[in-house]
Amino acid sequence: MPQGDYIELHRKRHGYRLDHFERKRKKEAREVHKHSERAQKSLGIKGKMIAKKNYKEKVQMKRTLKMHEESSSRRKVDDEVQEGAVPAYLLDRETTTRAKILSNTIKQKRKEKAGKWEVPLPKVRPVAEDEMFKVLRSGKRKTKQWKRMVTKATFVGPGFTRKPPKYERFIRPSGLRFTKAHVTHPELKCTFNLEIIGVKKNPNGPMYTSLGVMTKGTIIEVNVSELGLVTPGGKVVWGKYAQVTNNPENDGCINAVLLV
Amino acid sequence: MAQYDFKKITVVPTGNDLIDIVLSRTQRQTPTVIHKGNAISRVRQFYMRKVKFTETNFTDKLSKTIEDFPRVEDIHPFYGDLLHVLYNKDHYKLALGQLNTARNLIKRIREDYVKLLKYGDSLYRCKSLKRAALGRMCTVTKRIGPSLAYLEHVRQHMARLPSINTGAPTILICGCPNVGKSSFLNKITRADVEVQPYAFTTKSLFVGHTDYKYLRYQVIDTPGLLDRPLEDRNIIEMCSVTALVNLHAAILFFLDLSGSCGYSISQQAALFHSIKMMFRNNPVLIVCNKTDLQTLEGLSGEDLKLVMEMKSAALKTIPVSTITDEGVMAVKNAACQRLLDQRSERKMKSKKMPTVLNRFHVAMPKPRDQKERPVCIPQAVLEARAEEAAHEERKTEKDIENENGGAGVYSASLRKHYILADDDWKLDILPEFLDGHNVYDFIDPDILQRVEELEREETAVEEDGGDFEMEDEDFTAEAEKDLQEIRKRKKLLIQKHRIKKSTAESRPTVPRKFDKDRKFTTERMGRQLSSLGIDPSRAIERARSRSVSRKGRKRERSVGGDGEDVMEIDGGLDNKKKLRLRSRSMSVLSQRPLGEVVPGEGFKDSAQKMKAVTMARNATKKRNKDARRGEADRVIPTLRPKHLFSGKRSIGKTDRR
Repeated sequence: MPQGDYIELHRKRHGYRLDHFERKRKKEAREVHKHSERAQKSLGIKGKMIAKKNYKEKVQMKRTLKMHEESSSRRKVDDEVQEGAVPAYLLDRETTTRAKILSNTIKQKRKEKAGKWEVPLPKVRPVAEDEMFKVLRSGKRKTKQWKRMVTKATFVGPGFTRKPPKYERFIRPSGLRFTKAHVTHPELKCTFNLEIIGVKKNPNGPMYTSLGVMTKGTIIEVNVSELGLVTPGGKVVWGKYAQVTNNPENDGCINAVLLV
Repeated sequence: MAQYDFKKITVVPTGNDLIDIVLSRTQRQTPTVIHKGNAISRVRQFYMRKVKFTETNFTDKLSKTIEDFPRVEDIHPFYGDLLHVLYNKDHYKLALGQLNTARNLIKRIREDYVKLLKYGDSLYRCKSLKRAALGRMCTVTKRIGPSLAYLEHVRQHMARLPSINTGAPTILICGCPNVGKSSFLNKITRADVEVQPYAFTTKSLFVGHTDYKYLRYQVIDTPGLLDRPLEDRNIIEMCSVTALVNLHAAILFFLDLSGSCGYSISQQAALFHSIKMMFRNNPVLIVCNKTDLQTLEGLSGEDLKLVMEMKSAALKTIPVSTITDEGVMAVKNAACQRLLDQRSERKMKSKKMPTVLNRFHVAMPKPRDQKERPVCIPQAVLEARAEEAAHEERKTEKDIENENGGAGVYSASLRKHYILADDDWKLDILPEFLDGHNVYDFIDPDILQRVEELEREETAVEEDGGDFEMEDEDFTAEAEKDLQEIRKRKKLLIQKHRIKKSTAESRPTVPRKFDKDRKFTTERMGRQLSSLGIDPSRAIERARSRSVSRKGRKRERSVGGDGEDVMEIDGGLDNKKKLRLRSRSMSVLSQRPLGEVVPGEGFKDSAQKMKAVTMARNATKKRNKDARRGEADRVIPTLRPKHLFSGKRSIGKTDRR
């Protein structure tokens, strides 16, 4: 054994204390009680953390126990229900059959016409203007209030240059400009950090779309060349739409879900 | 040249532990309270501070770890190679690199979020941003969890490596497995290395230290080497190869002449020739071990030839037997001497040497004439020396102790130096208890004197013929009874008076309602009235009907002792309420006359002592008279101290403070 392993060396030469194993066993047995005492007496955040950990362990234990029991438990067998079978209180009624079954493509065409798309977040909380903009006072006496500063996350294109400060009405601060989004693929269930190409539509209004403001529910276009998707025709797909799923101004990042 | 201290590396916490540590620090050491109503700049500042503080802590802890671990390139090549052999340099570097990346990531997160916090216009928004920032930092730390675990493992192993000083003079012991390297190390140093008959008992480097000519040498024992190409060597052998290659040392190559290690001399010779190039310009000594089993002369011709071949490559060959200790010292001295010579040579060759030598000049005085000048010692000193030698040595207590078994076994008898009137009494045992009393309480230094006095008195009384005793015949029975009565009464009065007198100064005059001794009872009244000849029953009835105890009485505080009822032997002590005897219980020791000067009390004469006593009495008289609280009475300086009555009570009952 290495020269520095003093404990092992001593144990090898002199063995253990006469009561070593007994004490060890007893100490381990006492651990359970100590654990319980700590869990009961801890206050505040520490108590909460201990409780959380204990709960997780309890759930885990219950699961394993259930799994073990599954093999030996017996289950009720469901009686087979025949097609067209009807409960007793509906026996004397006349049934109607659905007449038309519309095809999928027709449905899609109708939706396109109507401008409605299936998106993960169909409804979104409307954002008021005073929440979106902050009024900036300008002028010699600070009486002019026509300038607005955007308080939400924005996207400006790569070739963006500001209008001359005297004329720019909407100020998009550089601290709130984002270029990348964390996009999740709903089927693959993995997240990629993709570049934003542009803002397609903001549900709060066309003005926000043109400003490039990204709030929850905004449809953005992202660069998916990383994913290596190919169309049936053989062309490489490099841009896809995604919908923003969080409040970027509160989290400091843009999380979106890819629209496949 | 340095002695590396790998024990000083701080413990590396696991990923989850690190997160816990930093987050709980943030919670404890930054302000915790902020309200919606506070000014937005204060809210922003509050949350920015938390983000910055957390980042600082993470960075500090990671930086400390990164800096504590030695960099493989910067340390001595011996340790560099050793670390590579034991822990795989690449893995080690990668782990440290990951920590570094994590540190940079955390810095970037902090910068980004502090920038975003500047635009936070509500408490909720700032709070969410802070939460996001801290969460991201913790995720980064969770990801480097495995690296931290690996580094902790490495640290624990590194701390236990033997501390080899790469600059000190070293002796390296190498050879085939089982030739007797470890037993040699045990012989010349105090290292207690395991020696077993199976090969590869030694699995790592062992260090021992030995002295030669006032210089300390390191002796390093290596695991045995097998004759294989370098690529095929395992970790254990690589340790010894590292030591061979990188350390500048005197190399002792051990040869087993008898072949009892399991390798023949030819195999060992082959090994020697294959590692010859690793020796470079280090001095090599060939040690032929186990000569008790097979001597050098008794070898066969072939083996002898091989040994001679090896000898040509080395400086010396020395036959040794570690069991019989033959030649062990010779080897050590030879190796140490060679190293010493090398050192001196190197020093002489160095550039500084001439400048140093120039400053030395050993002057030998030339004799001016042929006269002999021996040592001169004064006669008195010589005489004193001779006397001292003749004077027998006094036996000290320490010597007696050592003779009789040492410090724990022998306890010196202190009694033998006692100074007593009769030397026979030195070993007498004095009883400690007698009749339930401590004997020491009743020992008086002047006890003999007093006994003599008493005896004298008694003899005087006897001689006088018993003046004080009256003849029994002169009295009738009634008169006798009356006499007894009178005597008893007189004694009682005298005792009462004495107590009253002694406590008169300190007995307070308190009104009747503080009747602690309950002496103003109806029984007492009854007794007194009946002694006067009046029937007390009606008076007692009236008193009882009007008494306070019917209505409930408070317990009064006790007051200075009043000994009146106490001395009524039959009446007083028979009461159900026990009256506490307030008379001082005195042991014999303090029954001295008051003015007597006792050495040790600090008075120069009796008059001074009396003055001190009176002053003390006068000081307490007024207080006692007014029944005020005294020095010995319990005092609570503050009834409601702040430290017991303030603060939150986290756990526990609140029924007392």
